[in-house]
Amino acid sequence: MRGIRLQRPQINPIIVREARTRMRGARPYVVLTVFLALLALAGVGIFQLMAQQARFGGVLLSAQVGQGLFKGLAFVELLLVVFLAPAMTSGAISGEREGLTYDMLMATPLRPEQVLWGKLVAALSYLFVLIFAAVPVFSVVFVFGGVEPMALLKALALLVMTTIFFGTLGLFCSALLQRTTRATVVAYALVLLLLGVPLLLATVWGQFSTPPGQAPPPPLVYLQPFSALTAITTITPSADQAMNFFGYGDPLSGLPFLTLLWPGVIHYGPAGPVVVPVYRATLIFYGLLTVLLSWATAHLMGPGRRWRPRRSDLGFVLLLLVIGLAAYVWRDWWHVAPPRMG
Amino acid sequence: MTPAIETVNLTRRYGRMVALDHLNLTVARGSIYGFIGPNGAGKTTTLRLLAGLIEPTSGEVRLMGQRLIPGGGQRLVGYMPDFFGVYDDLRVWEYLDFFARCYGLEAARRRRTVDELLNLVDLADRRNAYVQSLSRGMQQRLCLAHALVHDPPVLLLDEPASGLDPRARVELRELLRTLRDMGKTVLVSSHILSELAEVCNEIGIIDSGKMIVSGPVETVRRQLEGSARLRIRVLRGLETARALLQRVAATPEEGLPRLRGVRADPSDEAVVLVEVEESDEERQAALLTRLVQAGVVVSEFRAQAENLEELFLRLTAAE
Repeated sequence: MRGIRLQRPQINPIIVREARTRMRGARPYVVLTVFLALLALAGVGIFQLMAQQARFGGVLLSAQVGQGLFKGLAFVELLLVVFLAPAMTSGAISGEREGLTYDMLMATPLRPEQVLWGKLVAALSYLFVLIFAAVPVFSVVFVFGGVEPMALLKALALLVMTTIFFGTLGLFCSALLQRTTRATVVAYALVLLLLGVPLLLATVWGQFSTPPGQAPPPPLVYLQPFSALTAITTITPSADQAMNFFGYGDPLSGLPFLTLLWPGVIHYGPAGPVVVPVYRATLIFYGLLTVLLSWATAHLMGPGRRWRPRRSDLGFVLLLLVIGLAAYVWRDWWHVAPPRMG
Repeated sequence: MTPAIETVNLTRRYGRMVALDHLNLTVARGSIYGFIGPNGAGKTTTLRLLAGLIEPTSGEVRLMGQRLIPGGGQRLVGYMPDFFGVYDDLRVWEYLDFFARCYGLEAARRRRTVDELLNLVDLADRRNAYVQSLSRGMQQRLCLAHALVHDPPVLLLDEPASGLDPRARVELRELLRTLRDMGKTVLVSSHILSELAEVCNEIGIIDSGKMIVSGPVETVRRQLEGSARLRIRVLRGLETARALLQRVAATPEEGLPRLRGVRADPSDEAVVLVEVEESDEERQAALLTRLVQAGVVVSEFRAQAENLEELFLRLTAAE
């Protein structure tokens, strides 16, 4: 055979290409600026809200300001990430088809898994830029205190994992539906389902349980990232938290939007309210689903006979086994049963 | 020597539709093979099968003697699709660098390859331009260059001349000749035969997923020429000539060619076009003698070969 001696690609070419093009033009900087501005505005808004409460005669500790800011900023950032991640990836594969570059890409020795990996990393790296660019905004929390660095790290881990999972979801839709508009619509529909259905079920659980008034089981909200964040950011739940409209302990507790996130997370036992660390299960299930979606996406991208087993499937199976085994071995860590009343 | 491309009973179905029906194609190494057929004949399906982008329903593909496993022959072929896109916000050299990376070329080789290819396709002076700013012809050449980054022995070009202006077509033909001189085997598809007739040394005509005829250009032409056409320009005695030819057509004579039809050339009223059943030069000479003996002054008498375009139209229309 004629031709030169070739080596395997060292750095994924998709990542190199995206790195070259992603930050060109004004758009990425505008998005970054708007993102940080929104986050900063949210921080200022939360601070103003708490200051207002203090003006009504309450005692506001510096640590409470820190905790309130931490919770508020983390929620805003998670909200932005949850809606940005599918948008960034739902056009990644379908865009190649629509841009008529898909065949050229598939005609190279790059395997579908490499394309998938490159696309995911390339799309998410920009989101990670947004997340890490927001760290200085978050550091304001430490000025007021009340939040352990570990809580910040947990929130960061949840943000990163949520970004990866929702990004993979967008990528899967992109490979499945082959048209960016359709892929984006379906990706957002799935996101809304994942966010809305568990909350709705958890909220009405008590009315349909026997006996009535039972707290919803934590697994109901395992896939709900905001419930997971509630578990991380609720530092000291108070007994009357859900009833307070403007609780000084947590100035955001009275907002109806946030109280929806408590069912399944904050349980009331004989010793008072307890936060169930559902975020641990969220991290594990997002990991499992990310691997499953990646596997399906890689098959959807292949030429013909899409579901025929491939050698690369071994890697996916191995990864699933590792996560599954770890989840089994450390099941007591993530599968925390809520306390029983009486 | 094993052929560069060989397909054995290659069949591809899309549901009930048979896009390619037991295609047997052989392309010798170092040749430019013109793959011609009307729209929807199965050209793109064939090229996508050869590039390993889709799997055959049955049959097999051999490239340089090796059986092609779908998704595994990319290093042997360079593929340029009929409709191709360019990545926005990517410079010309970055575009080629990206594909060179996809083929795993190491850094030094990559830089050299990009420079060589930009020179080959005459885009060296546009290396820092954004690809979306290039003209259609330039993008076409860039796309062709991308198919060459890994120096493949076989090139598959799907309708490379579509949408090009006449000058760009001439440049493309020159480029194809250069590639042939470089020892590449080029399979180039088109639905316009005249685009390829000048550069190809082999052609295949496909219609409705079936190969109608394939081989060296002259062989194909001879195979298809069941008849010949005589062009006779008459200086004086046009009516006499027409009457004589009509009579010979109606009543065949011994020693003269069998005439299937006599008609005037709409572009030149002094010309008579005669369809003869065989290309026998002795009989044609006898016909000329008869005309001269009848007092017809003939200024031009020659066999006019049916051009490839006409053959193509006749063949595909018959199907």
